[in-house]
Amino acid sequence: MTDPYRQLGVPETADDETIRAAYLAAIRACPPERDRQRFEQVRAAYEAIASQPQRLAHALFDTSLVTAEDLLEVLSAGWQAARPTEAALYRLLGGHD
Amino acid sequence: MSRKKKTKPTPVVAGGAVSAGPADLAEVTLAAARYKDAIEQFKELLKRERRPEWLEGLAAAYTGRAEQLAAKGMIKEALALWRTRSDACNVPLLDGRYVGWLLKNGQVEQALGFLAAVEKLPPEAQAAAQTQLAPAVLVAPDALLAGLAADSPVLQHRAAARAALAACAHGDEAALAAALQAISFRSPYRDLRPLLRALSLHASDPQQAASALARVPEKGPFEPLAQVLQVCLMPAGEWLAGLRGLDEAGRTLVLDLKGCPPAQRALVLDLMARTGDAPTPVELFDLAMRHCRAMTGGIVRPLCLRLLPHAPQRLDAFRANLPPLAAAEQERVLALAAELKQDPDRAEPHWLRLVKLLSATPATSATPAGQQRAALVLRRLADEHSHHSPDGSLCAHAQDWLAQSLKLDPADRATHLRLVRDARLHGSLKQARSLLDAARERFPDDAPLLQEAVEVALAAGAFKKAAGLAKQVLQLDPINPRVRTLIGRAHLSHARKQIDAHNRAAARRELDEAATWLRSADERGLVRLLQGFAAESAAAADSLWHEAVAELGPLLGAFHLLMEGGRSGLEARVLLGRAGVDLAAPPSVEQTVALAQGLNLLPERDRALHAVLAALRGMLERAAGALHLSESEHVLVCEALLRHEQQALTRRFAKAALERWPQRPVFVYLDAAAQYGAQPWRMPRHEWQRLDRVFEQAQDEGDQRTARRLSKLLGAAAGPDDDDDDGFPADLGEPGAAGIGDAMDMIEASGGEDAFLDVARRRLGKAAFDRLRRDVGGNKKQLAQALAELLLVAEQELKQLPPPRAAWPNAAPKPAPKAAPKPAPKTPAVRTVPPATLVQPDLFDD
Repeated sequence: MTDPYRQLGVPETADDETIRAAYLAAIRACPPERDRQRFEQVRAAYEAIASQPQRLAHALFDTSLVTAEDLLEVLSAGWQAARPTEAALYRLLGGHD
Repeated sequence: MSRKKKTKPTPVVAGGAVSAGPADLAEVTLAAARYKDAIEQFKELLKRERRPEWLEGLAAAYTGRAEQLAAKGMIKEALALWRTRSDACNVPLLDGRYVGWLLKNGQVEQALGFLAAVEKLPPEAQAAAQTQLAPAVLVAPDALLAGLAADSPVLQHRAAARAALAACAHGDEAALAAALQAISFRSPYRDLRPLLRALSLHASDPQQAASALARVPEKGPFEPLAQVLQVCLMPAGEWLAGLRGLDEAGRTLVLDLKGCPPAQRALVLDLMARTGDAPTPVELFDLAMRHCRAMTGGIVRPLCLRLLPHAPQRLDAFRANLPPLAAAEQERVLALAAELKQDPDRAEPHWLRLVKLLSATPATSATPAGQQRAALVLRRLADEHSHHSPDGSLCAHAQDWLAQSLKLDPADRATHLRLVRDARLHGSLKQARSLLDAARERFPDDAPLLQEAVEVALAAGAFKKAAGLAKQVLQLDPINPRVRTLIGRAHLSHARKQIDAHNRAAARRELDEAATWLRSADERGLVRLLQGFAAESAAAADSLWHEAVAELGPLLGAFHLLMEGGRSGLEARVLLGRAGVDLAAPPSVEQTVALAQGLNLLPERDRALHAVLAALRGMLERAAGALHLSESEHVLVCEALLRHEQQALTRRFAKAALERWPQRPVFVYLDAAAQYGAQPWRMPRHEWQRLDRVFEQAQDEGDQRTARRLSKLLGAAAGPDDDDDDGFPADLGEPGAAGIGDAMDMIEASGGEDAFLDVARRRLGKAAFDRLRRDVGGNKKQLAQALAELLLVAEQELKQLPPPRAAWPNAAPKPAPKAAPKPAPKTPAVRTVPPATLVQPDLFDD
């Protein structure tokens, strides 16, 4: 995931305070001793968009590659987890209509 | 199943006795998961002898192959192979995943047919068989189960299992809990308990769901549901790849659970198909275009805009399918695309057009964000140019861009600071002060700006002002060590002024003040030494100098004493005698290194410094031979000495280093630079070749700085070359006599470097000009000099040496091209062809 806004779970309109709060929450949830890689990602995301000039610079100069997973993440941002239907469960277990 | 070509049979020893080789081979093949080959090999073995272990091997090979086929969705083929396995190996059909495949193939009745056989199995095998058949009973229509005994375990808990499935689907937690409670831990449906719990928790509490799932045994009768849940619980970046391992029903259920709308499923499956090899930006762009309608919520345009710099060839497709691209967006995309192709020359005009659009268009000029964006672009351009400068200094363009950026966004303190610092380092103190005043108006109590003000004041010799400003910095930043040193140095400098003005009492006060700020031993020694010059009596001076020399050591003490000694009017010999300096004493490593550091702080071509170093020559020569300096210390000392044109001493230290690190490129360079740097044309051929070799070595070792310096020295030694392919930019073309004359006229007519460079930029074309500018490191003085030298050299060649080779009777054949050094990156138009003879008497005799 390369989008720093999604990394921190904030909207693109978020201000400095919101971003900082999200960053602190993220590193509390994922300290470096628990998951170094995730911590680095969160820190890099925060450093990219911490202030308004940085956000503008990110919007202007970011050339990070978009992956299939990024695309899926953008797409799935609006999805709502759902319960399975009985039919789908039976179909999976071998039942046929 | 189509009949496939059989593998070559395994060789068998005559007489029926099978060698150990083929049996081992079959085992190895089986272990390597080459099931098709393993089946053939075990079959061959069994033709000779029906050994139980080979039958087991054949059954295992059939199992592996059938699972391979099922994983590819070839369920019918898997079932057929399973039946063959049962016949050939005499193993029960109701084993492994056979029932699951039957169900997947829609053969519920056939699966249920095994129930009758289960009752004939031994009691211990019955439970396992019923567990395998549980999914078939669960999904079977009631009519098919009419003949089953009512007390059969698969029937007893069937109703509870179906109720649990229904409760899970309806989100009825209480009903689910009750239904699962009714399924005992011995029930054939027992795996459904953790599975349905995980299913009900997968969205609300993934961790709990994962721990419930972990309790489900692998390859159980409800494996398809376990696999679906596993994929659902994968992290965001991984579940798409996990989807590939599921069949159609599994994928559908995952997407149901994720809440994927039906319109987007084709896109998700398309993405899934591309997860193996990372799709290129162009492929992703095309995919987004294909599924444009499915991507609702305005996500497709920003996504494609992000992809465009990587896929600029899709600009037309973007324009045709998506809301129009604004002019600023297009310039940004093209600039980034050029940068991604490492072509800053092509990016620059796009960035500049973007700046114009962001800052000047009536629609955008009103928005501060637009102006801020324009300022950011200008700063990026300045950064790009200063990256090519060896010391990070700003070229004229970069200065202009930064100044322009401040007009658009005056709140950027870092840019203010950068411009002030650059002006100070270039000696433009008036400009530095004016920039500083503007910055301090905006940021009156900013510690870094005040610190820079201290530096500017010091550079201008306004020591009192510098000390005052430094104290202001300390009020804001009390532990700033740099400022403490600056204050101390300001007092030292002021004390020197007072000593020169014979105002000894004032000088002593300044020195006392300096002593409170300067803490290192060397600094304290220097204070003591200056106190000697400000002392009331000769005896007091001698005593203070003795103390200073004791603190600084003989080398550093003598150096400072002689440097400061000009203001005493005493001869060096007398001064050294009074201070008790023993020039025969061996200097230490620390003193030698400190001396080199001190030399680096002094300006070049200092006549007084040359005299001081001449007095210390013997001591330094001994130091070169005796001291055990580290490699970096050797480099520091050599470079400091070379900077002050101490060629002989530089060579001494370089040769000492080469004895310890033979052929180390940096020392070979320093040795050669000391010997031939001032007169590179005197470099003999063998030396040129040695440098050529170490140039390659430096490049191989990644020592780009030394490689660049060697390349420059080699280029200077080789002198002008008449080849076309010598590294000159093609855009320059052949310098004709008329063109040179014009250019010379232009230099004379132009009123300075800037004007000359502007003319050169227009004449050469932007691409060639920018390349030259980068090659000389972005420094405009060096660029103007390099351009003028190029023109002069070309003129010399054309007027005096037509043809050049014919004028050199002793010319040796040109070395093979492979011997020519590769030009280092960012190096000016370096001649890569060695000269025929590097000493050209006829050229320089005049």
